[in-house]
Amino acid sequence: MLLVVLFFFLFMLLGMPVVFAIAISGFLFFLQHPEIPITTPIQLPLTQNINFALLAIPLFITAGNMMNYTGITKRLIDLSVVLVGHLRGGLAQVTCILSALMGGVSGSAIADAAMEARMLGPEMIKRGLPKGYAAGALVYSSLEVPTIPPSIGLVLFGTIAQVSIGRLFAGGIVPGLLIMTFLMITVAITARIRNFAPLREKRASIGEIGSSFIKSIWAIIFPVILIVGLRGGLFTPSEVGALCVVYALFVGIFAYRELNFKNFIEALRGSAIDIGATMSLIAFSNIFSYGIVWEKIPEIISSWILGITNNPYVFYLILIVLLLIAGFFIDATVLILMLTAIFFPIAMRLGIDPVHFGLIFVIACAVGNFTPPVGAAMYAVCTILDVSLEEYIRESWPFLLAVVLAIITLVFFPDLVLFIPNLIFGK
Amino acid sequence: MKNFKRFLMLGLLVLLLLAVPLSAQTRQFVLKFNHVLSPLDPYHEGFLKWAKAVEERTKGGLKIEVYHSAQLGVEEDILEQIRQGANVGQNTDAARMAMYVPEIGVMNCPYFVDSPEEVAKLKKMPTVHNWLKTLEEKYGFKVLSFTWIQGFRHFMTNKPIKKPEDLKGLRIRTPGTPVWQESIRALGATPVAIAFGDIYPALQQKAIDGVELVYNNIPGMRLYEVLKYVNETRHILLINFEVVSAKWFRSLPPTYQKILEEECDKAGLETTKVVFQKEEEVKKMIQEKGMIIVPTKDIDLEAFKKAGEKAYEVLKVKEVKDRIWKEMRKK
Amino acid sequence: MRKIYEILGKIELYVAEVLLILIVVLVFSAGVSRTLKNPIYWANPLASFFFAWATMFAMDAAYRRDKLMNVDFLVKRFPQKIQSYIKIFNYLVILAFLIFLIVFGVKLAFIQRYRTFEGMYGFSYMWATLSIPVGSLLLSITTLVKIIDEITNLRRWRKELCS
Ligand code: NA
Ligand code: NA
Repeated sequence: MLLVVLFFFLFMLLGMPVVFAIAISGFLFFLQHPEIPITTPIQLPLTQNINFALLAIPLFITAGNMMNYTGITKRLIDLSVVLVGHLRGGLAQVTCILSALMGGVSGSAIADAAMEARMLGPEMIKRGLPKGYAAGALVYSSLEVPTIPPSIGLVLFGTIAQVSIGRLFAGGIVPGLLIMTFLMITVAITARIRNFAPLREKRASIGEIGSSFIKSIWAIIFPVILIVGLRGGLFTPSEVGALCVVYALFVGIFAYRELNFKNFIEALRGSAIDIGATMSLIAFSNIFSYGIVWEKIPEIISSWILGITNNPYVFYLILIVLLLIAGFFIDATVLILMLTAIFFPIAMRLGIDPVHFGLIFVIACAVGNFTPPVGAAMYAVCTILDVSLEEYIRESWPFLLAVVLAIITLVFFPDLVLFIPNLIFGK
Repeated sequence: MKNFKRFLMLGLLVLLLLAVPLSAQTRQFVLKFNHVLSPLDPYHEGFLKWAKAVEERTKGGLKIEVYHSAQLGVEEDILEQIRQGANVGQNTDAARMAMYVPEIGVMNCPYFVDSPEEVAKLKKMPTVHNWLKTLEEKYGFKVLSFTWIQGFRHFMTNKPIKKPEDLKGLRIRTPGTPVWQESIRALGATPVAIAFGDIYPALQQKAIDGVELVYNNIPGMRLYEVLKYVNETRHILLINFEVVSAKWFRSLPPTYQKILEEECDKAGLETTKVVFQKEEEVKKMIQEKGMIIVPTKDIDLEAFKKAGEKAYEVLKVKEVKDRIWKEMRKK
Repeated sequence: MRKIYEILGKIELYVAEVLLILIVVLVFSAGVSRTLKNPIYWANPLASFFFAWATMFAMDAAYRRDKLMNVDFLVKRFPQKIQSYIKIFNYLVILAFLIFLIVFGVKLAFIQRYRTFEGMYGFSYMWATLSIPVGSLLLSITTLVKIIDEITNLRRWRKELCS
């Protein structure tokens, strides 16, 4: 297994697409174990590809892409500007709010960061925010998207660990808003120190906010419909995914009337490409995980950690530090796929609530998308805004700090996570 | 160009390295045994006991590692690995074996056997013997034992079930194999194929109305949180098959083969006893948690048996059943 | 040749899109029909089956457009020529792996011809297994084209350097 890990990093550093790096290094394990049928590395990705629970992911991706063509995004931007445009740092505050709103219709941080960078990024720079700072705000606020339902990361975690996806989704609402609040405070403080200007002169009137709110209502009630669908027991997560696509089409065709056939095809095409990139990674990383279980590595790591401590807080501390370090080099999806099987059983042994653990774990993994040198959301935004990594690192650390503080707050106050799921689904 | 050649050489060297298995082979035999049940299930402890006995008797020459909760993979995938000669084993059922030898499906049909004693008789029968031989020679499965009995399957629902009509329109989870689906359909319910691990969320989300499982499945899956009634329909006495690869089995020294089989039978008989004892504890526990048991005496078993006949017809195993029942002197 | 490659790309994307629509329709109607207490038991398994094929086609579509995530902060620091060599090395390793998937994927499909696809009676699992070798074939064609492109690049640079 050591050889497998070494080659994984070698292939990755050589710039091989991660899906092949992980599949081929994982494949080496089978060459070392001739007693396992050599056809197993073919079976493993296939098993993931026909896993009905994972079908939720391509469906959420499709729904998210459709939403971008329905006019929902445009209205949410307007609403965000009306809500916080008068604050110092203007558009940096807008991106914090916008990600929370977008969080309710989209499930991927990378997609959100890229989209907002295209829509808000140039304007942010034009209005005097330093490039690196703008990138930092765009990237870190996208953490709200996989935290607030729907969330691809939570579906993955729930499927691997067999934790109710409905509960996980419900558990993400408050943490998402908490992260938003922490980031907005960070923007407020840094904007005051550095004297950034607001976007608009004065606070919007109640009437203005109200009308903007009503225009966006179709997006805002979306997560509500989602959780009611799961809670009401009408649908499984995958079916909710299909429902989301139908809902997006409905809003695009009948409510906002901005979706036409051409847009539809474009959204479908974009979704197919996104699905190819995401699902192939999920499928082929199963080859890699096989060796981890075969060599009983979860048990080894588990007895090692349990040998150090029986205290859930110390465990969380070790976990978060490990995930943040691993996140420098490995992206969120891969982290979730590789590490859930290792850490979830330990959390259960320590009596931690599965939903609480799931949220902390998925959020901490997602930070891996934002930190250099390897981070997909960071790459996307820095490429679009033409920001150098040095600039990004120099300007974005306060946001990293804010996000880590938010995670620590969630660790110490589990009710922030569990309050809503217990309310909706019962204890 | 010179550079390019040197580069190619390096590439080839790495590829060569990749192709050579790097770990040294040891002479110790290892069996990786997979099951889908929780570590709390009496079966898990039973398999661990079997592993310990085999390791002791072979003085560490044959080691069994037990993987619970389907850690090694999906049951059907493992079965295919076994066929290809892997050193893995799986706890499986007659319905899955019937995908290869259809007649075996008869063991998984409603009310086929009524007691563990009848199961013990089965293994001595020529018909059954032939099945095992086909499994071994044509499909590469070595069945170590089927003394492992998981108890009677009962319908567990949110309304009392006393006759087949009560099941009408209820979506009951079953494994995905045709035999299961037809058996449950014959008894009056609508079968829905869902993986074992997805049962709890499916019930919670009301994607299904009930399950048909054994008592001992209840605590591990916390079914008392989502279901109200256990209706003791006893429709299937669940016989498990412990299978390994025939090819791997033949690679073992004959003494090891004998020990592996003997200890498997022995552990199976012991575990079956534990299973029935544990059921009594579970019954008490779930009643305390608020579940209601509809006992067999309140259920129209004759009607259920009659309904179950249909499964034998649909699956075309009626003739097999008659033959075996005759051999067993059972009506 | 290029032309065929491009037509192939169009077809695979088109198929992936159609499968995606079918998946949405199937899963949605499975949910609705179940809520109406009259489940279509084959809808979800069929959707899973399409999903297997859609993923492989979509994967190649993403690969063609270089949309598969990769890490290039280290490689980017090397001179162009070395970058090209590294890319060719990567593609050769990938190609070897894909050939393995094709050969043994076909073999596995054959081995699994007895296996039933869960939830669909009489439907062989083999048809799902074939998605891996077929997808890998598409991916290996793409890889070959990428290798050819990279070699062409190298040649061009050399010419520019000489002239
Ligand atoms: Na944002
Ligand atoms: Na979201």
